[in-house]
Amino acid sequence: MQNIHYAYMNHWKNIPYKSIANFREFYYQDKSNTAYYSDWDNLLKYQKALGFDGIEVAPWDLADILPLFGSADAFRQFAQERGVAITGMFHGAHASHDKAKFDEVLQAGKQAVDTIAGFGGTQMNTCPTDNYCGIGPLSREEVAQCANVMNEIGRYATDHGIKLGLHNEFFCGINLSDHREFIELTDPRFVHYCIDTAQISIMGEDLLDFYDTYAERISGFHLKDTADINQPDSVRFSRDPEIQDDGKRWFWELGQGVLDFPALYELLKKHQYKGWITLETDGSPDYLASMAMCRYYIDKELNPIYR
Amino acid sequence: MSAFHYAISLDMINRHYSEPNRNRYESKYYWEELYTLIAAAGFNRIEIPYEPVWQFGGRSGVPMTQYSINTKYGDAKQYKAFLADAGIDAVSAISFDANLFVRNNQLGFYFGASGHFASQAIEFAEELEAECLVLSPTAYAGRLQHYHPNLNVDDASFIEQTRELISNLASKAKAAGVKLALRPEYWSLLSIETLTHLVAESDNHVGIALNTAHLQLAGADTTAFIADNAARISYIQLADTQLNDCASFRHAANPAFPPAQATQVFSDVGCGEVPLTQAMQSLQQAGYNGQVSLCNHQTRDPMRALLRNRRFVNQLATQLTGA
Repeated sequence: MQNIHYAYMNHWKNIPYKSIANFREFYYQDKSNTAYYSDWDNLLKYQKALGFDGIEVAPWDLADILPLFGSADAFRQFAQERGVAITGMFHGAHASHDKAKFDEVLQAGKQAVDTIAGFGGTQMNTCPTDNYCGIGPLSREEVAQCANVMNEIGRYATDHGIKLGLHNEFFCGINLSDHREFIELTDPRFVHYCIDTAQISIMGEDLLDFYDTYAERISGFHLKDTADINQPDSVRFSRDPEIQDDGKRWFWELGQGVLDFPALYELLKKHQYKGWITLETDGSPDYLASMAMCRYYIDKELNPIYR
Repeated sequence: MSAFHYAISLDMINRHYSEPNRNRYESKYYWEELYTLIAAAGFNRIEIPYEPVWQFGGRSGVPMTQYSINTKYGDAKQYKAFLADAGIDAVSAISFDANLFVRNNQLGFYFGASGHFASQAIEFAEELEAECLVLSPTAYAGRLQHYHPNLNVDDASFIEQTRELISNLASKAKAAGVKLALRPEYWSLLSIETLTHLVAESDNHVGIALNTAHLQLAGADTTAFIADNAARISYIQLADTQLNDCASFRHAANPAFPPAQATQVFSDVGCGEVPLTQAMQSLQQAGYNGQVSLCNHQTRDPMRALLRNRRFVNQLATQLTGA
């Protein structure tokens, strides 16, 4: 019996075709690999072939996916026919620290829950507020306000069969100094946590201690490696640090960075984690190659520990 | 002696669709080298799409919003100085479309967001001293029809709201010293006839941005179009395609990607079937002596496209001299 199901975070960017009927002809137009990365049919098959049976979408995917397929449910069916489930959607709770915007943030959160329900997903991984640069440091009242909004969105999500998982980025307004305080202020009945292994490590959390401490709250993982743990304030609080001017990457394929994934999987075994783990390949120049590299690492290094 | 001023549209870089190595395009370093390579190919002007998506989510490495420029260079003046050092002397135009704002069944949202961000695009053009804003008059018809199934081409109410939007933008553009150039498009909810009528009834500060591939795909006679509208043509986008007909995909949700049969709609300039030399001769005869942007939308290889463009312009210089 498998405890872990693997999914893939949709980093493919916009995909223009559902499927390509004239694949050979399309290839010959420019004899490049364009044909191989232009349709959902093949991309979903790639990830299914590599053992990633779910896909998490993002709000910025919707403008293309919905008109292309006609509806969220049509996309769900299309993916399902290829053996892939929609696990959920990422959500950014912009300005949730701002009391004056409570209604607006709550409404946006509810709309995201409804969208996920339309896709048949069960997870809403949510960045708690805006980037630190521009709003930080948050006051204790603002941190509490973020928690308050999360509780309300989480209540609505729970009522609709969806788990809200907090997802902290290393550059988020909620940051190292108030990260755990913020979590403690949220209601465990409605608000869970999705650990992005690289993001929280770059922020300065100890990945293993964090998971061991909050195992009961964990609703999912975004799995990726990093070579840059514990970054200083000057990096985390800078403007738009995720995409670096010189092309430096924060995120790497499993085993290419410094995170101790075998130790994490020992903890998963200890806590008997059951559910989705979602691979991320952001920053990679070749998502398919990254996905295959990670699949090999999972099979060889992690599955023997816990699967 | 040709009086045309050639530019390269940064639209040749694929910002939005999946392909290996696309990650490079979100970092500042990529664009900063690109400017020097455009100059090395013999072009000293660029056209920049204005894309609000780059001011959200920390993606300011893509130089296509005011926010991006201010974040990376301080202000437009310093960005222009950087461009000059790289061999780019001018920004020929800013282009803008509203496809990002077709997200729900609220036309008020579409028109409101379009007006708001097109106004930003006008400010962007003013700051960069671009002569004009190339405006797509409507979002993709097929995308609008996804959320508004009763909308048809040249819907009277939609035209009226578009007319009001364009009128407001024209006033802002005029005040900013930027010409508003409407681009006839095969995928539009406004027919070419309606668009030219809209331009004709506007004051002279509203013109036409002629895109040669769009005209061919829409079934228009480019030579006749130039002759009929010469006085209102404000900007040229030389674009190419191997297709002559768009009936099967013009109203697709994404009309740049024909759903029934995958194909690259737009070719690199000079590599398609559009009679570009003939179009340029018509423009020369009509007395056009403005800017000509080379648009390699959907190119699979920007560097090869640049050199193909240089080859094309070199050949064109000979052909036009002899015309």
